Amino acid sequence: MKSTWNRREFLQRTSAATLAALAAGSPLANVLTGCKPGVNSTADTVILLWMAGGMAHTETFDPKLFTPYKTGMEGNRVLSTFKSMPTALDGIHFSDGLQSIGKVMDKGTLIRSYTAADMGHILHSRHQYHWHTCYEPPQTVAAPHLGSWIAKELGPKNPVIPAFIDIGQRFTLGEGEELKAFHTAGFLGNEFGPFFIPDPSQGLDSVRPPVGMDAKRFERRNQLYNELISNSPVGEFGSDYQRESLKRSMEQAYALLNSPESKAFDLSTEPKESYNIYNTGKFGLGCLLARRLTEQGARFISVTTEYEPFKGWDTHENGNTRLVEMKKQIDGPIAQLIKDLDKQGLLDRTMVVLASEFSRDIMVEGSPDLKVKEQVAQPDVLSDMKFYGMHRHFTDAGSMLMFGGGIKKGFVYGKTADERPCKTIENPIKIDAVHQTIYHALGIAEDTQYEVEKRPFYTTPDGKGKAVMDLLT
Amino acid sequence: MVHFPVGLLCIALIFEIIDWRGKSGKLKYAINILVLAGAGSAVLAVIFGWLLASEGEYGGDSLEIHRWSGIATMLFSVVTAFFIRYNKIAAFRSFLFLTVFGVSFAGHYGAMLTHGDDYLSSVLPFSKPEKPDAQEADFVLTNNGALNPQQVQELNVEVRTILAHNCYSCHGEQKVKGDLRLDSKDGIMKGGEDGVVVIPNHPDKSELIRRISLPSGDKEAMPTKGKRLTEKEVTVLKFWIEKGALWPDGKEKSIYRVAALEPRLPALPAESGDIVQPIDRFVNVYFQKNKIEWKPVVNDRIYIRRVYLDIIGLLPPTEKVEAFVVDKNPDKRAALAKELLSRNDDYAQHWLSFWNDALRNDYTGTGYITGGRFDITKWLYTSLEVNKPYNWFVKELISPVKGSEGFIKGIKWRGTINSSQRTEMQAAQNVSQVLLGLNLKCASCHDSFISDWKLADSYAFANIFADTLLEINRCDKPTGKIAGTKILYPELGEITINATTEKRLRQLADYLIQPKDGRLYRTVVNRIWAQLLGRGIVEPVDMMDNMPWSEDLLDWLASDFEKNGYDMKKLIFAVVTSKTYQLPSSSVKEPGDIMANSYKFTGMVRRRLTAEQFTDAISTSFKPMYPDSAIVFNLLPEKIKTKVSFARAALVKNDPFLTSLGRPNRETVSTSRTSQANLLQALELTNGNKFTQTLKSGAKEWIVKYPTTDTLITELYKRALGRNPVPKELVAARKILGSKPSEEGIQDLVWALALVPEFQLIY
Repeated sequence: MKSTWNRREFLQRTSAATLAALAAGSPLANVLTGCKPGVNSTADTVILLWMAGGMAHTETFDPKLFTPYKTGMEGNRVLSTFKSMPTALDGIHFSDGLQSIGKVMDKGTLIRSYTAADMGHILHSRHQYHWHTCYEPPQTVAAPHLGSWIAKELGPKNPVIPAFIDIGQRFTLGEGEELKAFHTAGFLGNEFGPFFIPDPSQGLDSVRPPVGMDAKRFERRNQLYNELISNSPVGEFGSDYQRESLKRSMEQAYALLNSPESKAFDLSTEPKESYNIYNTGKFGLGCLLARRLTEQGARFISVTTEYEPFKGWDTHENGNTRLVEMKKQIDGPIAQLIKDLDKQGLLDRTMVVLASEFSRDIMVEGSPDLKVKEQVAQPDVLSDMKFYGMHRHFTDAGSMLMFGGGIKKGFVYGKTADERPCKTIENPIKIDAVHQTIYHALGIAEDTQYEVEKRPFYTTPDGKGKAVMDLLT
Repeated sequence: MVHFPVGLLCIALIFEIIDWRGKSGKLKYAINILVLAGAGSAVLAVIFGWLLASEGEYGGDSLEIHRWSGIATMLFSVVTAFFIRYNKIAAFRSFLFLTVFGVSFAGHYGAMLTHGDDYLSSVLPFSKPEKPDAQEADFVLTNNGALNPQQVQELNVEVRTILAHNCYSCHGEQKVKGDLRLDSKDGIMKGGEDGVVVIPNHPDKSELIRRISLPSGDKEAMPTKGKRLTEKEVTVLKFWIEKGALWPDGKEKSIYRVAALEPRLPALPAESGDIVQPIDRFVNVYFQKNKIEWKPVVNDRIYIRRVYLDIIGLLPPTEKVEAFVVDKNPDKRAALAKELLSRNDDYAQHWLSFWNDALRNDYTGTGYITGGRFDITKWLYTSLEVNKPYNWFVKELISPVKGSEGFIKGIKWRGTINSSQRTEMQAAQNVSQVLLGLNLKCASCHDSFISDWKLADSYAFANIFADTLLEINRCDKPTGKIAGTKILYPELGEITINATTEKRLRQLADYLIQPKDGRLYRTVVNRIWAQLLGRGIVEPVDMMDNMPWSEDLLDWLASDFEKNGYDMKKLIFAVVTSKTYQLPSSSVKEPGDIMANSYKFTGMVRRRLTAEQFTDAISTSFKPMYPDSAIVFNLLPEKIKTKVSFARAALVKNDPFLTSLGRPNRETVSTSRTSQANLLQALELTNGNKFTQTLKSGAKEWIVKYPTTDTLITELYKRALGRNPVPKELVAARKILGSKPSEEGIQDLVWALALVPEFQLIY
């Protein structure tokens, strides 16, 4: 007995410091819960293509009967305001304007049954928060963004490319503060927060020496910094973690800004022909940047069409005409992104996810069986073309696309009704299932959690998210 | 649902009594129907109840009582029906009485099953049991022989702690999976549906040990959800069983440490040599106990930099540093601290950031655009500027005056929200966390797993802030129950339940700020200590039930604070003039070490400048980083325009630069900032627009003011580091500036100097 007891004592002593730190509830001292990156994973990288503002499923990836505009028509009769076009998949149609994406559907999965939560009001800020963090706002602790969880669990894939890159969103527009509330690593700490590139064409500026500083001067400046450190009389204090973490972070930054990989941020080096396909605006260039970063080893990239109240996908009027524009922005670049990744063999380990916070309908706000406050003035009878389109916020169905990283090819999941309001009738999928499917593909354990203020905080609420295995090969 | 018709039997009894007394017989037909229907549904209820119980979600004594009394009642009701059918009136009446008694008896235990055993008592005021006086369980696994009663107690507490954290959620009060309860001695010893789980003295034969030791993939491994037990936890459980699975006699000790509420004034230890000041005397006792030597205090340059940054958040100006160093006055350090504390606006502008974090006050953020949030900046600034006594400060936060409402009003989001985030519950959580150092967040969703706080306690506390009483929600599901209205520590006073919200808040404020609420004052002195020394006497600073590294020091500071009229500045003065504060700074290898229970105080923990301190340090030593126009004038007191010498970072809106340096978004309470650097921060400092622009515009001014290389370097070193450059530094700096400074050279030198740890740390 004596000998085993000594072994126990040994174990107890060696782990005492860690345990004590855990007991003290320090978020810094959290210990990874049994997740080994790369083990049984099918993906290394995730690209989120964010359709900000509520993308109507019936006008995009789940078209219904085309109902052409007639002045005086009843809104209730409108199913889709676009024609349906065939895709690479038999019997599956997309709304007119998305033919390029339609052609690459043999490489991915179409989900037609995303169902968003109902939180009283159907609000962009709250639903976006919910989609990105998997937690309904507000929360007692700051919930981390999906990208931050991934950055925390897996770290950067290439040490000089930040693990979580957010392309295309500015925070100076309407509801900027509400957007900031979920573009954060929350309690995981700033280290795992997003690296923002609001404008992809200026991406290089974020990762090169300050504008106007040549490589030689940058090098000289850094050398001076090192000399000053080694000569500082206060440096005699010896090593401690603050000092070390300061130095280490500066070394990393220097490495990044000086690395050959940083050229990936420079879109001007992209061949003209390819550049032009992507160049449909900020979103398209964002896709291009995402592709280039993926080639260099990015971990999580979000590219957004950018949320601004009443802009982009947030159609409160002129839904039909505005969507023509939106589709032009996304169709070519997304299809090209998939093709490029596929051609380079990167799609096998890169998961591309297209999603939106909720869908839209012409008349129903929220879901059909739940009465919520209507937020868009939409007449029953369409007296003007501007009322023709999906203007209300709809939560009972929604389309998503997923490609690569272990996702089935040429697969369709879920189904919606053919009559208004075209709600989900088969295989509804909720946000915690979406997150868990992504984590599963990345090899992040479903019970991953950290203790914050003594509360176990899981990647999905209470660790209950279940991966949808049907979506994975 | 199937239970409802059983109630018909009660009505049948009432009808029968009416008929009997009135001798009318008019209700006979109705009674017949009621008894038959009631008896029929009692049979159904028994069948469904049996099925439900066998699913294993319920269990415990209540279930067994409900099970058998339910069956008895069902039999009674059938007999009753039989007698009424054959007109045996006397027998019918007796059995009807018996049946109704059975219904109430079984019904009571049934309700306890579905609503919890406090479903009746929880709505009565003051039903919370007294908390046992618990001490820190600090059991060390070294004893190889028999355990003494004290050790039995400690080991038992440790075992229960492990079970509570890992097992109670499925094998406890709420759920009894596998018919096994691990939250009591009886439950553990009785075992579950598969037999006993603990065989005393035989850990190797105990099912409990086998299940927790299985590899995580195994179907039988426990726990099935959540994290696995650590090796140490398994070791403790094995050891406990090996020693006979001992359970102490008498009252069970709480597994959580609960700090005393009332204040305590410990006797002042004796003076010794130059250890005179009360704080030092207490630290001296601590040092002796822990065999720590007093080191010589830091030199004047280090001291002046520390107190400047700690009291007013700014670097000391060059001339002040030089004058201080040559000053021969033996009390010059105290004089300096006094002078800095008298600079009311500078003081307010520094401490504003700390309180903004804690009180979740910001100039931008969610909620403002929809009118769901109110800032308290004017009130806060003024309160700090006039050094409002802390009891008064707290009173105005809880029972608001004009401008201080924002704290308890919280952030109201549109739409329906999780019930644990109602604004009243936010108020309860934030008042508890910030002012009482107490985590109520867990207990606002379900009974806490980390303390003895119950869901009903949180709701009763939240009700003080509520215009209409809140229905208790457990994990966001309505329970139909209403808690009382009550302070977490009822010994502080009784809230008048029917009073207006305004009156209740006034009562709450008055009760909380009483001198006998030692917890309020311990919490704040510990926070101030943590700000000045880099680590609280208790950590985390929001968990004041944790063990302080010196109870006497903490208690004395809190008592002295009360004696001094809750004067923050006097508290700060006492700390920064102590020898303890003036000790050389200390550090650790890993950030977690600072928070560890094993932490030993040896001197101030080296800290990184906060976002605001760093920004202001650049602003004063080189060039203001923000234009005056960036100040949020409209949110600050009118007179502020005449009181700012430059745009201090505490007075501007949050932005990517400040965020990267650690200024939190103040959506939730934030009571400490991390000292660890990271890549995003380094990138922001290396090529971020904000810093780069400051370097450029500053260099333009400096090249005119300091046209020669050596004067420029010396001036910069003095301003930034409070000292002259050493020869080697001068050589390095000259290399980049050349014989005549260029704008680029100046930019690069300032950049490099701002990034060296000596500039970025308070040491």
